[in-house]
Amino acid sequence: MEGATFSRSAMIAITVMRVLVGWHFMYEGIAKLTSSSWSAAGYLRQARGPAAGFFRWLAAQPNLLAYADQITMWGLTIVGALLILGLFTRLSALAGIGFLVLFYAANPPFVGYFYSLPSEGSYLIVNKQLVELGALLVIMVTGSGKYAGLDRIVHALITRKPAPAVVSPAR
Amino acid sequence: MATIFEVHTAHPDAQYAAQAAQAVFDLVDRLERELSRFLTNSDVARINGLAAGASTRVTPTTLECLVIARHLYDLTGGAFDVSIGTGLPLLELDPDGLVVRAREGGVRIDLGGIGKGYAVDLAAELLEEWDLGASLVHGGFSSVLVLEPPPALEGWALTLSDPAAPARLLARLSARQAALSASGLRKGDHIRDPRTGEAVRGRRAAWTLVPRPETAKADRAPREGPRMAAAAVADALTTAFMLLGLEEIESICAASPGLEAWVLPEAGADGSADLMHFAAPVEP
Amino acid sequence: MAGEEDKNKVMPPIAAGGPRKLDRRDVLKGLSTVPALGLFGYAWQQQRQYDQATLQATAAPAAAGDVQELNIALIGAGAQGQVLTDAMLRIPGLRFRAVCDVWTEYNLRRVVNILRRFKHEPNAYEDYREMLDKEKELDAVVIATPDFWHAPHTVECLKAGKHVYCEKEMSNTLEGARSMVAAARETGKLLQIGHQRRSNPRYLHCYEKLLNEAKLLGRIVTINGQWNRAVAADLGAPDRYAIPEERLKQYGFKNMHQFRNWRWYKGLGGGPIVDLGSHQIDIYTWFLGTNPSAVMASGGLLYYDPATHEWYDTVMVVYDYQTPQGPVKAYYQTQTTNGSQGYFENFMGDQGTLLISESELNYAGKIYRDPNAPAWDEWIQKGYISAPKLQELQSQEEKSGAIADVRESVSPDEHTVPVVLRDPYHQPHLQNFFDAVRGKAKLNCPPEVGYESAVSVLKVNEAIDAKSILAFKPEDFHI
Ligand SMILES: NC(=O)c1ccc[n+]([C@@H]2O[C@H](COP(=O)([O-])OP(=O)(O)OC[C@H]3O[C@@H](n4cnc5c(N)ncnc54)[C@H](O)[C@@H]3O)[C@@H](O)[C@H]2O)c1
Repeated sequence: MEGATFSRSAMIAITVMRVLVGWHFMYEGIAKLTSSSWSAAGYLRQARGPAAGFFRWLAAQPNLLAYADQITMWGLTIVGALLILGLFTRLSALAGIGFLVLFYAANPPFVGYFYSLPSEGSYLIVNKQLVELGALLVIMVTGSGKYAGLDRIVHALITRKPAPAVVSPAR
Repeated sequence: MATIFEVHTAHPDAQYAAQAAQAVFDLVDRLERELSRFLTNSDVARINGLAAGASTRVTPTTLECLVIARHLYDLTGGAFDVSIGTGLPLLELDPDGLVVRAREGGVRIDLGGIGKGYAVDLAAELLEEWDLGASLVHGGFSSVLVLEPPPALEGWALTLSDPAAPARLLARLSARQAALSASGLRKGDHIRDPRTGEAVRGRRAAWTLVPRPETAKADRAPREGPRMAAAAVADALTTAFMLLGLEEIESICAASPGLEAWVLPEAGADGSADLMHFAAPVEP
Repeated sequence: MAGEEDKNKVMPPIAAGGPRKLDRRDVLKGLSTVPALGLFGYAWQQQRQYDQATLQATAAPAAAGDVQELNIALIGAGAQGQVLTDAMLRIPGLRFRAVCDVWTEYNLRRVVNILRRFKHEPNAYEDYREMLDKEKELDAVVIATPDFWHAPHTVECLKAGKHVYCEKEMSNTLEGARSMVAAARETGKLLQIGHQRRSNPRYLHCYEKLLNEAKLLGRIVTINGQWNRAVAADLGAPDRYAIPEERLKQYGFKNMHQFRNWRWYKGLGGGPIVDLGSHQIDIYTWFLGTNPSAVMASGGLLYYDPATHEWYDTVMVVYDYQTPQGPVKAYYQTQTTNGSQGYFENFMGDQGTLLISESELNYAGKIYRDPNAPAWDEWIQKGYISAPKLQELQSQEEKSGAIADVRESVSPDEHTVPVVLRDPYHQPHLQNFFDAVRGKAKLNCPPEVGYESAVSVLKVNEAIDAKSILAFKPEDFHI
């Protein structure tokens, strides 16, 4: 985005988008954390598509699965909170993209794939996960936390001295 | 169990035989209520809902079925696993208190792979109580138990055929006082190895024949243990023999005189597959 | 970092590598999205309260804490006796001291063996009087003998100072049932009749929350219900365990066939209407809150052999009820030649329909809102019923291109009754009885209730014979 210009209203819109995506991530995470029985196993076992073999294998490894469950629950919650707050925005957007890639890859709506669970909409290749991923891309490249978010404060504090501003190790 | 149970028996009084069969079907219904995964108040549904450290009481029959399942899990090194990789050893079974306790949450069991055989075992005992010693009972054709043969016959005639080509007869047996169980893949079916989660390759079908123990049948009191669970064992071993290596199958058979197994491998390049047979060497 | 310089054009400078201070604007903007987190917290709290409410609305009452051990005995170790035994083995604090059954060769031996395997040491009896003589320590007796034995067994146990759980039907005669009520009153001992749906958490939820509190059905005007069973062979017994004729006679049975199939014989049982119908007709009365005012019925032995089946294999009944809201007609059928649709009760009001059965598999509780009834959102919020299942309404319209699909009526929203039973069907009712014995609960089906139910049900067989409408007087239900 070097060289791009964003108007004030564009930045506000992106911030709103960031808070919304963050909210969704955080609730996905918290809902899993507070449910006594959630495990990714069910989702993984139903995996379709090119990577299905890997996901099903993962579902059958009790030890790995336990890690994967913890990472997913806490990861989603933390990424969500950071996005809402606008703290380490680029890093958390990147992590969010990572999660979405995995979720998408486990059950991609490719031509001819049917799911045992009825889905609430109609998708062909693009589904809501992919759309959310696109939103995170925008958030990541605009570093929206530095406009409205804790990144702005962190950034201001760090850059008081003439030092290179390395806020987000996202790159 | 959403499957067909059938009783074949020889008795001069057809009505008497029909009443015995009715008693068998009532028994199967009762077991279904205890062992079905789909019924929210079945023993199995309650076990599947156990959180870490929680326990539930079950009926004597459920507990016995679990004990057999656990035994076969150990015997087959986890190849037969009613918890499909979710951790059967995490369930503590207390046969005296009729209690099942989960050391950790998330264990999910499905007794489908053994419940049918177990029901067939109990049905056979019931038929003996009714003095219908010359009987055959099966659940869904895949778990067959034969008692004494019909009068004037050496044994019940049973056949093994290729699941992919049912017309292809692989072997003929004549059996008495034994359980025969079959597991096979038709086109598109697959079995997953609970130990790795991967689909099994290289096997098309397996059969196991387990003799019923010769303990005194006649004067046992009704419903006294220990159960002669030949069909449950046959069911479980057949499932395991779809996955285990040939050496492992051979060593299990060698250690259990009377146990016989047949394995049909996946067809080779020329489309043919030969039935392999395993049994303990006959003692002189 | 990218972008900062560009933003400077329209935004205050945030960073340009040069020294600068954290200004007010930075702090305000920096914190501007923090309130969203607060809002999230608030929303989550609301959601948790809703989840909590749902749980509470549908949770079974907590089990009594400390358990005082009770000494119990079972009379009648047949099919139902074994079902009750399995359920009682799951209830903490019970000690089986005795089992009594006249089929000593088979049922008695079997149940005693099972109990011994699980560390109970019950004594085995053929004669219940001998048992009552010898077993002085018993607190309670559970009775699951054929219907015509209920009255003598219950009365003697009560008189011996035991609390009693007696299977339904309370008795095959009203005199018998009356003697049981009288004995319970005289002795002050507890008597629970085995209409187990009265303790089923789903039925209790429907009665207390959906009908009484939320009044979801509006005015109930009609009810229908049924229990249909497929053809089955008569019950038999293994030849070698046959009971000697002398003993059969002593206990009121002509032969082994009658002993096994007592339900079908006059004087011993009441046929399918009493065996099956009594469970569900009891629910009609319970949910309506009043006893019927009249009954008409048609029935007959259409299929089975009259030599071995004295009662009707097919019965269709219509009850009249006069409730404070107005009259109600309630239909019930039972037949034993085709199991179509199994068993259920269906309550139809002017605002909704409740379809329920004891089974956890079929008809396990659905409630439908009439399209013209007031919204049920409040009750969904409270967790009394589930959110409605989405109706596939548009699909028809989309296909035909019509603005509205003209059909007989718009299909009502379908909600689920969110209560499931996790225990065997009879366990909550037994638990209620033992809790009451320990002084920690009120009986859900005391003898007066069992008696009212018997009056309604036993009248059906009379109405079939009379071929006319029979009226009930309110006094009929009182003793
Ligand atoms: N609540 C329910 O859902 C439910 C279900 C089934 C049966 N029941 C009731 O349970 C009772 C028993 O039914 P069942 O199906 O078990 O019948 P059953 O014929 O299988 O069992 C009756 C048992 O009582 C024994 N018996 C008969 N006379 C006796 C006597 N004088 N003293 C001691 N034992 C005696 C018999 O030997 C037999 O073992 C009936 O009243 C029936 O209505 C209730």
